[in-house]
Amino acid sequence: MFLHHLNPSIKALTIGLIVILLALIFDPVTPFILLLFTISLTFIGGRVDVKKYLLYFIPFSILAFGMLWTTIVFADTPKNPEDIISVLGMEYPRESLLTAIALSLRVLSVASLSLLFIFTTNIVDFILSLIQQLKLPPKIAYGVLAGYRFLPMMKDELAVIHAAHRIRGVNQVLTLKERLKQYKRYSIPLLASAIRKAERTAIAMESKGFTGDKSRTFYRRFTITSKDWLFIIIMLAAFTTAVYTSIKLGYFNWYNGEI
Amino acid sequence: MKAFVEVDHLSLQFDNQPEKNILSDVSFQLDQGESLLLLGPSGSGKSTLTFCLNGIYPKELDGNLQGDVWINGKQTADYLPGQLSQQVGVVFQDPETQFCMLTVEDEVAFGLENISFPPSLMESRINQVLEMVHMLPLKKEKIHSLSGGQKQKLALACVLALEPALLILDEPTANLDPVATKDLIQTIHNVKQKNNCSVIIIEHQLDGWTAIAERCLLLNRNGQIFYDGTLRNAIKDQIHQLDSEGIWLPKITQYLLQHAPKVIQNPPLTIEEFSNQEFLWSQTEWKDMKQVRSLRSNVLLDASDISLSKNNKKIIKAISLTAYEGEFIAIVGANGSGKTSLSRLMTGIQKPSSGTILVKGKPIKNWRESDLRKEIGYVFQNPEHQFITNSVFDEVAFGLRIQNKTEEEIKKNVHSILNICGIPEYANEHPYTLSQGQKRRLSVATMIINNQQLLILDEPTFGQDAHSNLELMKLLQERYAKGTTIIMITHDMELVNNYATRVIAVDKGEIAADCTPEELWNKAPEELNQWQLEIPIPVQLKKRWEKGQNYVSTSS
Repeated sequence: MFLHHLNPSIKALTIGLIVILLALIFDPVTPFILLLFTISLTFIGGRVDVKKYLLYFIPFSILAFGMLWTTIVFADTPKNPEDIISVLGMEYPRESLLTAIALSLRVLSVASLSLLFIFTTNIVDFILSLIQQLKLPPKIAYGVLAGYRFLPMMKDELAVIHAAHRIRGVNQVLTLKERLKQYKRYSIPLLASAIRKAERTAIAMESKGFTGDKSRTFYRRFTITSKDWLFIIIMLAAFTTAVYTSIKLGYFNWYNGEI
Repeated sequence: MKAFVEVDHLSLQFDNQPEKNILSDVSFQLDQGESLLLLGPSGSGKSTLTFCLNGIYPKELDGNLQGDVWINGKQTADYLPGQLSQQVGVVFQDPETQFCMLTVEDEVAFGLENISFPPSLMESRINQVLEMVHMLPLKKEKIHSLSGGQKQKLALACVLALEPALLILDEPTANLDPVATKDLIQTIHNVKQKNNCSVIIIEHQLDGWTAIAERCLLLNRNGQIFYDGTLRNAIKDQIHQLDSEGIWLPKITQYLLQHAPKVIQNPPLTIEEFSNQEFLWSQTEWKDMKQVRSLRSNVLLDASDISLSKNNKKIIKAISLTAYEGEFIAIVGANGSGKTSLSRLMTGIQKPSSGTILVKGKPIKNWRESDLRKEIGYVFQNPEHQFITNSVFDEVAFGLRIQNKTEEEIKKNVHSILNICGIPEYANEHPYTLSQGQKRRLSVATMIINNQQLLILDEPTFGQDAHSNLELMKLLQERYAKGTTIIMITHDMELVNNYATRVIAVDKGEIAADCTPEELWNKAPEELNQWQLEIPIPVQLKKRWEKGQNYVSTSS
């Protein structure tokens, strides 16, 4: 599918660019149109599990709703207090309401852009492409990859240490202070084994000729193709359309220090 | 012409112990295509020597190094960074920590990328080495979904891709079950024949390796070479030092030395060699295997119909079993068959998804945690995980202190337990500074301090030298004699045969066999193979002998 086959670096840069552009504008319509567009693109252009997507989207929705609510309640005194909109039997100043909606839609729009990237990009591909396209030093890139393999191992290990300490008869912790003490106790065996493992991995990598040098060849090459340019154009076009619609509807507003 | 590897008066000290020689005046040579067993007790500097050979040291060394190492006529220090990997390849002990990529093909490619291998040829080279270790069908697999044996074969493939002339194997089978071990050794054997490379093998378990390398290099505790020659001659001439350094011999040799000391003039190293030497049969005095079989008395632990699922995967499938007082039970089976999970269910650290476990007739969930710990002790695979305090004394005392015993009583108890475990002089040391074998005994010490009636151990003998092993088994045997019931997970069939009164074979989360060791050895070979088990040496010998007898009697 289209989104999965894009160059990960270009995808990240494009999305970063749109996020920055979005930050310059503060009105409810532009992010709303962009939000709808991004979500549709995610499902049309990518293989994404709807359930999982919604699960990831929930926290952002809660955050956005919270911002919406607090912005309305704690709004500055509006310039036109008479201009009132009634929603669900409650009356709000039009200005405060628009600011609040703009803000929360912004959050959702940025969230949907990030999710588009996360759901259609393989982390290994992303890092390899960072080395190849954006000249990230291999030393850092492969370090991150090795670390990425470590996380699940550390999680398993923590569970084992927890069980091992229970066997020794360490009491179940109840208070916060005890909990802190418990983590201190876990940290020594966990760190000891993590350091040892990291050292082993480093030695194994070095034994296979890894030097961190930039002169290396690549088994999987990532290149920039016309598909990537098409993606940039699509995203910019979508953004322009959103801005244009917003201007036509009379909502358009540059960001200048609201909230 | 120089030999391929030439080590010349090599000595090495680490910065934190400047006065102790890790390696001391080590000199040897290795020709192209020649192979070598590098043997020595834990801490004799075997791995350090490996790092010197593949150029990690002196580059990454925090310490001092004297002497020279020449590889292919050039000093290791004169190689450009990364270049030496095409001369010397190493497969390490822990299959888990040798990788930095997520899929099999990427991992093999990683090494090739490092040496700037032309991308157009990469694919075919990757296929070629994966084929060599029989892993080609797994090319696209994720590494974490592989078994331990497969991971080790992948590690081997990664190294082979660089076509090194010398292959170093640093305890490659330490984490593998017997069948995976055999398979890996066979693979390496084939590779060696195909590539005609040199192999240096560092191992505790020698069985199977002797066919690959005749010559052995023996290191002692001070990092000195005390013997360089064939293993056969080493056994003939140096048997006492081999023994005092705690160096493992092939199991068959070990067994014969105990039962037929005359064998020492020309010791057989494999079963096949033994069977071909007719006269040995007549010389051997066959002692009957001692059979101490406990009578089943009181039920200690009773599990009925327990299952365990994790992430929708059934790990334990409706197992029922009863452990009686005075039993020595061995749990055996392949890596990943569910042995560890089963043992954890029995201790109550993990709750079964369904089924009940009774400890002394009372459901395990009704026990107070602290009371349960006084009944059941559990020794983890990695003893470090269990250490909580900063000194050996406190570590053992911990279990008593939480019961508010008086300090005097604690002192008396702790010292007697430390004596039993053979580590009294380390009372004030930090647990982490002990050797591997001592750590293991300390973790046993912490688990017997309350006179626990049931002691469960998860692979207690793994990765230890012969000495530590013997001492641990002596300790367990003593506890057993005093009435402690012992349940032990192990891959070592000799231990099962020597100590266990009952053996439980676990296969894919089910109990495949629950019987005495003798009954297990009499099962069909196909079945044993399926459970990844191997018949221990004395039993193999006896079977061959009986077969020979039959042959003689029917032919005459």
